[in-house]
Amino acid sequence: MRLNDWQLAFEDYLLGEGAAADAALGASLIGGPSLDVETGLAIYHNAYRARLQETLRSDFPTVRHWLGDDEFEALTAAYLRECPSSHYSLRWLGAGFEAFVLRHLVPDQGAPLAELIRLEWAFTLAFDALPGEPLTLEAMAGLPAEAWPTLRLERLPSVQWLDGRFNSLAMWRAVKAETAFPDCLELEQPQVCLVWRAGLVCQYRSLEPAEAYALSGMLHDGLSFAELCAELAGSLGEGAPLQAVSWLKQWVNDGLVCQCRTL
Amino acid sequence: MSVSRPCLGYGLGLRSHYHQEILEQSPTVDWFEIVSENYLVQGGKALYYLDAIAERYPLVMHGVSLSIGGPHALDGEYLKQLKQLAGRVNPAWISDHLCWSRGNAHQLHDLLPLPYTEESLYYVAARVRQVQDVLQQPLVLENVSSYVRAAADEFSEWEFLEALSRLSDCELLLDVNNVYVSARNHGFDPWTFIHGLPAHKIRQLHLAGHADYGDYVIDTHDHPVCDPVWALYQRTLEHLGPVATLLERDDHYPPLAELVDELDKARELGGIALARRSLCA
Repeated sequence: MRLNDWQLAFEDYLLGEGAAADAALGASLIGGPSLDVETGLAIYHNAYRARLQETLRSDFPTVRHWLGDDEFEALTAAYLRECPSSHYSLRWLGAGFEAFVLRHLVPDQGAPLAELIRLEWAFTLAFDALPGEPLTLEAMAGLPAEAWPTLRLERLPSVQWLDGRFNSLAMWRAVKAETAFPDCLELEQPQVCLVWRAGLVCQYRSLEPAEAYALSGMLHDGLSFAELCAELAGSLGEGAPLQAVSWLKQWVNDGLVCQCRTL
Repeated sequence: MSVSRPCLGYGLGLRSHYHQEILEQSPTVDWFEIVSENYLVQGGKALYYLDAIAERYPLVMHGVSLSIGGPHALDGEYLKQLKQLAGRVNPAWISDHLCWSRGNAHQLHDLLPLPYTEESLYYVAARVRQVQDVLQQPLVLENVSSYVRAAADEFSEWEFLEALSRLSDCELLLDVNNVYVSARNHGFDPWTFIHGLPAHKIRQLHLAGHADYGDYVIDTHDHPVCDPVWALYQRTLEHLGPVATLLERDDHYPPLAELVDELDKARELGGIALARRSLCA
């Protein structure tokens, strides 16, 4: 067998379900004094699965806790069959897990599970994202008065915006704190949760709807500070600028935003 | 091209498990070897600790994803990132494995053995030269543990490594534990392997533990180094003279002090072997 054909056969064997190799691959190999070819190949076959499954267990501990070991293993095995690893680093192995679950489970089952997957994946994304240049309170204090109305913000690279319909965060917290695991519940109203990294440490915070609306206006709709104040005046009247400043200070303190450089 | 000495001394594999303790305790370790892929990220803790540790210790970059013998084109983006990381940490050298870890279609995330044939030899040698052209330095390649070997082999593994280093000017990372593991699994004499390598090309040694299942041995890096591997290590150093030695642990992490004690054992046994070498010279 040519090198390329042999490697193709080996790859097919590793990715295949059975630990038994086809005759041609088996015949192309030699075992040792007390290690036969079947056992030697099975070591590679098992190691491939074990390594990938371990990565997903470590990236999605809450999903695993919810499903239990057996169901988690069955689901991740199906994921790995459909989406074998395509990045040299196992760090990215779980990137397609949420989309896989949405494709393969009925919506009632898939939606809460996908949301929990998205939450856990958000932490992995925040963990090693670019640090960016966080806006600081000192920098804000130094802004000339005329710069405030046109101030625009961008989210820092680590910030993950999650629109939640279920109690995923409560599930995640329960596993982290090793407390009683809650049943899956649909929230009375959707909730935005932010996951980000401040310095070296990952953080998370749920936003009240009004704050989420304001932050989304600045980050997603590109509103300037003056435009935000005008937008908020409808509901907050004269108190709009004060509330906007208070939120802005919070976002800066949290380490969520940087000054928009593109305008 | 031959490897210039003196060597770096006795080092440990840098793992995130020990990052904080290393900064707090500044253990007596001559150098650290990083797994390059763990630091090919954009920010966060890994790079913070890497920079801090690089200020205090010499580093070597050791990759697991080059797939030098794989059936795919070399990954230019990966090589670019590797070179950027080298710019950041200024490693004493850059190593990976004589293996393939990516198939025709997918990443396989294992250090798979190659058939030791003329076809493989010329294929891999050309790719080593490509990598060296990008990195602008010799690539250091490690022998892997294996559990099957190809019936089509035309060379022994050590003959292949010798020929490869000659054809491509790469250097060698001799993993003494891997030699022991493969020797047990395939039934060859580990000393024949080590003695058959070109001594002047050996840049570094690896030591690690394995799991012994009686009929066969698996390279797990989750145990201390066993006595037969220590003996083989001493004989290797007696044969080679001083070579940078690295102790690896990738699972069942003991307290850092225990790992440093094991490294001190390498230092002590290595010292004895080198003294014996001087006496016999």
